[in-house]
Amino acid sequence: MTLSWRRRAWSLAESLLPADELDRLRNFPFQDLGYGYDPFGMERESAALAYVALVFMYRYWFHVESRGIQNVPAEGAALLVPNHGGVVPLDGAMLAVDAFRQAASPRVVRCVVDNFAAGMPWVNTFMSRGGQVFGERKNVEDLISRGELVGLFPEGAKGTGKAFGERYRLRRFNVGFIEIALRHRVPIVPVSIIGSEEQAPMLANLAPVARLLGVPYFPVTPTFPHLGLLGLVPLPTCYHILYEKPFRFYEEYPPKAADDPTIVRMLADKVQVRVQEMLDEGLSQRESVFNLPWSTELRTGVNSHGTNA
Amino acid sequence: MARTRNTAKSPGRKHNVLITGVSSTVGRHLAMHLASDPRIGFVLGTAPGPRPRFLAALDPSRFRYIPSDILRPRQVRDLFHGPEFTDGGIDTVIHLAFVSHPNLRGPKIHRLNVQGTKGLLDRCIEGGQVRKFIFKSSDVVYRLDPTTPVYLNENADLNHDPEADQWIQDRVAAEMICRSRMDTAGMDVVILRFASIVGRNVGGQLNSYFDSGLVFKALGFDPLLNLVHMKDVIEAIRLAIQKDAGSGIFNIAGIDTATISSFAELNGRRCVALPETGLMMMNWAMRKLRMTEYYYSVDRDRMRYPCLLDTTRAREILGYQPSRCIEFRE
Repeated sequence: MTLSWRRRAWSLAESLLPADELDRLRNFPFQDLGYGYDPFGMERESAALAYVALVFMYRYWFHVESRGIQNVPAEGAALLVPNHGGVVPLDGAMLAVDAFRQAASPRVVRCVVDNFAAGMPWVNTFMSRGGQVFGERKNVEDLISRGELVGLFPEGAKGTGKAFGERYRLRRFNVGFIEIALRHRVPIVPVSIIGSEEQAPMLANLAPVARLLGVPYFPVTPTFPHLGLLGLVPLPTCYHILYEKPFRFYEEYPPKAADDPTIVRMLADKVQVRVQEMLDEGLSQRESVFNLPWSTELRTGVNSHGTNA
Repeated sequence: MARTRNTAKSPGRKHNVLITGVSSTVGRHLAMHLASDPRIGFVLGTAPGPRPRFLAALDPSRFRYIPSDILRPRQVRDLFHGPEFTDGGIDTVIHLAFVSHPNLRGPKIHRLNVQGTKGLLDRCIEGGQVRKFIFKSSDVVYRLDPTTPVYLNENADLNHDPEADQWIQDRVAAEMICRSRMDTAGMDVVILRFASIVGRNVGGQLNSYFDSGLVFKALGFDPLLNLVHMKDVIEAIRLAIQKDAGSGIFNIAGIDTATISSFAELNGRRCVALPETGLMMMNWAMRKLRMTEYYYSVDRDRMRYPCLLDTTRAREILGYQPSRCIEFRE
């Protein structure tokens, strides 16, 4: 962004955001390399613009509610490990917005994005300016060694490409995040995101088209592809994000345990089971997929019988 | 990769240096700097043709110039058996005889770049006098695609694409030859991979890119780029001469990391985005009209994916720390 565009970005943010959120955007920790970009291409002004756009979605479209932000370490590196779904990966964006505005001191969640997006024009630029990184192990390790908060979806693209009937049934976790957590001694915060997997019900996957376009899946939803790109606008489901107590595997296992496939697989399964339990629990408490006026239970913590949920 | 050997070196001894390709931009700066640096002993410079004017002012007790073409075996032999080489006690060779003008390409240039490197390296090994061979490489040797990490360390994949530009292929081939000689007993082979050198009167790919009338970039991409100042390049080579760190490869980057459009803006140029096919044609047309000397085909991937160097090794082993910001024209 040129300097004049940066000024415009700030004046737009000033006109649209309350003072405390603006303050967070101006003051979140940011390692400027001298030209306004951080080592991974994030730019404070672009991140602020992305935040402005996403926070409206966060408030008025998805009505995001969250619990347990105190479980996310306030400083130092950590991995956030949520479920993944919903065709368009807005769950990562909502997670980042939520962690940014709820935490006592603001931190940007650096979500790890599938590599195929790195080859797409504009997508590549928007993602990296907004603070996201592309899924290469060295990128994650570099972020961790700089003490960043990394959002990593161990289900990968096979998570977002789930059919509607399989919503909230986790695909088997990839094990890379456990290896990184053991080697670099970082905590893993299990996160469940409820609502994302209903936002765009995927009815079928046109695999040949996906192969042709070089993307992991090509979804058919009630609105896509026949309504064009507009069909990718998600349904206004209600998001519930829950952060649970972090796993600190490095306290029990030495870094060289990362070389043992059995241990790594077992620990990945342990995290997967925990996230699945959190999802099942949240789903059983949820009354409605959409934010209907009478589904107040999770917001107030009180169910219709007047007892604590 | 790094291999420390037991070579008879005394730590405080001054190194006497041979610079091939001393008439190149880096060679000229390096010769001038080393000839005035008291930590370095005698400097011998060589290039085909008569002594360049800019080297005439150097102190003859510190610097000597010998015309020699590294592609002519007899001239190389004479150089290595000459009194300046043997009596001067040359123990370090810095190989800069590499064509770095993108306009010059074809089999002859390939011969100079690759065969020249091989011949010189083998001659150094045969002679037994040279203890260290320093090869200046560049970051174009790395393969860039959506799966490469933002920070490339020395173990990252090289670009072995058979359809890559000759500029890249020659550098990869010459570097492979250097790597294959890294286990030579008694001689260290040091490869320095530099980020793009940018500055006034420096030449090179990205200089001509940023100095084009209009700077064209790929539509929808604006990757990060690292540029290094000539002073930091010279400093890195000096450290490589002085530190006995054994054979190894080192990434050398500068302080300045920003996007292509930021650098173009700093240089006072308009940055125009075009789709990739348009870029190829526009670059071709601009070259034909002599509006630029830049070859887009060399940097095709760099226009889309970030190419930043992880300099941890250079920092820890050589003690290299970039200190100078690049200067663009006013």
